[in-house]
Amino acid sequence: MKKKWMAVVLSVAMAATLLAGCGGSGGADAPAADSGESASAESGGVQEITWMFWDDLNATEDLISKGYGDVIDRFNADYEGQYHVTAVTTNLEEYYPKLNALVASNETPDVFIVSPGPNLEVYVEPGVAAPLDDYLADGWKDTFTSDAVFSQMTYDGKIYAIPLNIAAACAFYNTEMFEAAGVEVPKTWDEMLDACEKLEAAGYTPITISAGTAWCLSMVAGYLCEMEGVDLAALEDGSASWEDGKVESAAAKLVELSRYFQKTAAGDTNDVATANFYNEEAAILIQGSWAIAQINGSNPDFESKCGVFQFPGVDRVIAKSDSLAMSSSTKYPEACIAFMKYFTDDTAQKYTAEIGGKIPVTSVEYDESVAPAQLSYVMDVFSGAEGTFGFYNESMPSTEAGAYFDDTMVSVFLGDMTPAEAATDMETFYADNCR
Amino acid sequence: MDKLLRDKKAITVFLMPALLLFVVVLFVPICQSVYYSFCEYKGLTAPEFIGLKNYKDLLKDKSMMFALKNSLFFLIFSCVTQLVMGLFLAALLTNIKKGRNLFKNIIYLPCVLSSTALGLLWMFIFSPKLGINQALEKFGMEGPLWLMDTSGFIILPMWVIAFVALWQYVGQSMMLYMAQISGISTSLYEASYIDGCNKAKSFIHITLPLIKPMVATAMSLNAIGSLKFFDLIFNMTEGGPNHRTEVLATHLYTQGFKYNKYGYASAIGVVLIVMCLIVTGLINKFVKTENYEM
Repeated sequence: MKKKWMAVVLSVAMAATLLAGCGGSGGADAPAADSGESASAESGGVQEITWMFWDDLNATEDLISKGYGDVIDRFNADYEGQYHVTAVTTNLEEYYPKLNALVASNETPDVFIVSPGPNLEVYVEPGVAAPLDDYLADGWKDTFTSDAVFSQMTYDGKIYAIPLNIAAACAFYNTEMFEAAGVEVPKTWDEMLDACEKLEAAGYTPITISAGTAWCLSMVAGYLCEMEGVDLAALEDGSASWEDGKVESAAAKLVELSRYFQKTAAGDTNDVATANFYNEEAAILIQGSWAIAQINGSNPDFESKCGVFQFPGVDRVIAKSDSLAMSSSTKYPEACIAFMKYFTDDTAQKYTAEIGGKIPVTSVEYDESVAPAQLSYVMDVFSGAEGTFGFYNESMPSTEAGAYFDDTMVSVFLGDMTPAEAATDMETFYADNCR
Repeated sequence: MDKLLRDKKAITVFLMPALLLFVVVLFVPICQSVYYSFCEYKGLTAPEFIGLKNYKDLLKDKSMMFALKNSLFFLIFSCVTQLVMGLFLAALLTNIKKGRNLFKNIIYLPCVLSSTALGLLWMFIFSPKLGINQALEKFGMEGPLWLMDTSGFIILPMWVIAFVALWQYVGQSMMLYMAQISGISTSLYEASYIDGCNKAKSFIHITLPLIKPMVATAMSLNAIGSLKFFDLIFNMTEGGPNHRTEVLATHLYTQGFKYNKYGYASAIGVVLIVMCLIVTGLINKFVKTENYEM
């Protein structure tokens, strides 16, 4: 009997090693931001700071990421002997878990990249991110195109992050495939379906998309919700319901469109889906304009046959910016601000447009003739649109709500839920968690 | 030596380092986790006591249901297949004279390799654009979407991952059984042959009863290992498509480290530990063992 008990106890101890991983080291009453600790250190009179980023600066093919590498090199060279920055990099999928682990262990990077909206709010609420208004007041803010670029980074009237560039979610298309299939750029929903039908008949995979990376599919769902007139703010305050038919209709359209996705869409990651496009295995890629840097970096020859059009049937365009936040516990805020300014100076912003193909956030003048051809198409989409709106999953009350929407849309795509069930499910989630 | 072992102070001193280590790195975090499971705890702010809400939410969580189902599937699949295959290989290898060590090492090799590397390797093998499907295409056949298909109660990716786990860990079960079998006296087998047993009968009537204690141990290890299973799934599917290959450990990771819901993740951890407790108790209850002189 004793042996059995011993076996049970030892077995449980083994299993408990997994559970032990959940035990926090921060302690119940020691929020990371209040600890006064940060990753910065002074060595030999040089103020050392860290910057955390979601791509490997050495291995990446992404031209925007490469540009960030150049920013670091310039900063370290210009401030040699005074400041020095070290990049802490990881892949996108593991970025937030690692950042959170660092924050929880009082090792918050001095400067870190973050998506605006609820993702940033996670760091604003506990005081991890520092307000930047005082630093912006010295004329830095005037270099930006408008105050509107800070809208998704402002909480209680204070700015907590600096935008680096703007990207718009568009439909990229292979002009050669469109021509061969006799397809015109679609402007309405019906024309979109018609174009997909013709592309398929011509032997092409009409659309490449990732449902394995749920936000990619959710981005299309966001456009379809916009098409149906869904009002996220009204859904949040309870004056509208997810079950009013609009979301159901949008989800039904998603199912309709999914007939034209590549066969492996359910499991393909974002990178794989994008590669399908620039490797000319599919005719249309619905993606943010950050993909320009990835497309041109991976297959430079493809630039000449890559067109861009606005998602059909909607008047507004989804826009998003990468942004930089500063740790409130950094020992060297001056070094951090000097570093952050390098991302928004003319050299970096010109690179953003001319090489990276993203829209600059400052009023810098850049040479349109050397910029990627796709950037001018994106600018056309921007100028033709009636306005912008955020990614659905970043415009919801919490990251959890955004992730729930993403998963629900993937469930609809996989056939695990009907459009009506998806709408009911979202309404239940909002009623329980968001209102 | 005997005198030393009777000295309670000496025993306490010798036990203290291990005890301290156990308390600090295991017992305290477990207690913390149990407490956090009753809290709303985001990791970046102080935990707030919310009673049983996390546990109630678990019951409504669709991904948790997938994770629970997949973990139970994994548990049953691993226990059965590792037992059958491990025993079969052990019996086979103890009965061959040439190449025993070679085959033993080959079968055991995956156990000592990194699960992350193996997970990536198998992910490439089952990828639609590489590996098996490309080979099948050469013969004009279209392979299934090994890691993406979502049809059926237990979806194809779960069978694929379970197969890979069997391939990786069967060597461990085999080694345990081989160690036990090689400890059985040959005189018992010789006596059985004189009494008219053939190899199969001596396996059933001599080998099996004598390795029962090891069966219980190996099954407990398999059961706990499969309930804790994480690395292969995380590297092959990351719990996708849409959480359909989630198991308890990956769900715990996603909730805790992706969504910062440490309180909720701790509740999943508590469920996991309770399951381990129940399964180990059941194995010990139903796999009756007796020690014989061998």
